[in-house]
Amino acid sequence: MSCKKFRLLLSAYLDQEITKDEQEKLLEHLKTCSACTRELKYLKQMKRIFLLKEKKEPQEFFETRLFARIRSKRERFAWRAYLPVFKKSILAVLIFFLLVVGLLNYRNFLYHRPAEIISDLLIDTEIEDNFEEELLEIYYGPLG
Amino acid sequence: MEEDFELLAKFKKGDQHAFELLVRKYKTTVYNTIYSIIGNAQEADDIAQEVFLKVYTKAGSFKGKSSFSTWLYRITVNKCLDELRRRKNKIISYETGFNEEEKLKLKDVLASREKDSTEELIQNELQDIIQKAMNSLPEKYRIILTFKEIEGLSYNEISQVMKISLGKVKIWLFRARQKLKEKLAFLYPQGE
Repeated sequence: MSCKKFRLLLSAYLDQEITKDEQEKLLEHLKTCSACTRELKYLKQMKRIFLLKEKKEPQEFFETRLFARIRSKRERFAWRAYLPVFKKSILAVLIFFLLVVGLLNYRNFLYHRPAEIISDLLIDTEIEDNFEEELLEIYYGPLG
Repeated sequence: MEEDFELLAKFKKGDQHAFELLVRKYKTTVYNTIYSIIGNAQEADDIAQEVFLKVYTKAGSFKGKSSFSTWLYRITVNKCLDELRRRKNKIISYETGFNEEEKLKLKDVLASREKDSTEELIQNELQDIIQKAMNSLPEKYRIILTFKEIEGLSYNEISQVMKISLGKVKIWLFRARQKLKEKLAFLYPQGE
């Protein structure tokens, strides 16, 4: 195994995340490789830097501020609590509306087409009157 | 872990006090994770609030397939990534170079064996120096180092939180440390 691969193992070794077999090979390599031994020393030092890092606390009144935000959010979206009920009602109204519209259209569909056919056959009332007058003239001669 | 599930179950049933206990338990962890990734105390505080607001509103969707802390870390990382993405559009940069005084301080502290031997003032300055080193790293390395070195998560936990393979966790940590070593090169004299 090359030094490059051992360097990768060093990082995992530092975190105690390598297998026993890998550890044995690494420790064997460290006995003979001064560069990797020096690298391990640096890595340990770097880990120590993070140990020096102290845990900080959030800014003052973190919880008070958070719960105030939660309360305001809850109040702003209080109507959402009724959303499931609203949803059902809206759905029922929508279905009823669609049914009514559908029914009306269906009736129109049924009666509209025959009406259309009849209107095509109907003679204009003016033409009809003229026709009647013409017939009378044929039978009784010119009128008035 | 069991305790977290119990508290969450109580909260889902409407117990607000259970949520308060969860916040009290995790607020420092969440805040420190964000601070380490973002590098700004005020922003870390704001984002931590956003994280807990999300927990409050999304608790119902948590199915318990992972531990509560893994889920919480996941939300935290996503919020941090949102912030970092926002920053990319804004051009916000933090100083990442070290001056001579800072270099000497870090050397001195590392040379002394006891952590407590350093005075409080130096400790505070030291925190800034460490954070500067973190800020100088690419975001994925900053996140993975935070989880490993600050939060002490195992490779397996990091893999779950960051949704990457175990192999990637190993490689990213290795590269993160190499990058950090480059930034802290003044601590490692040539030829030593």
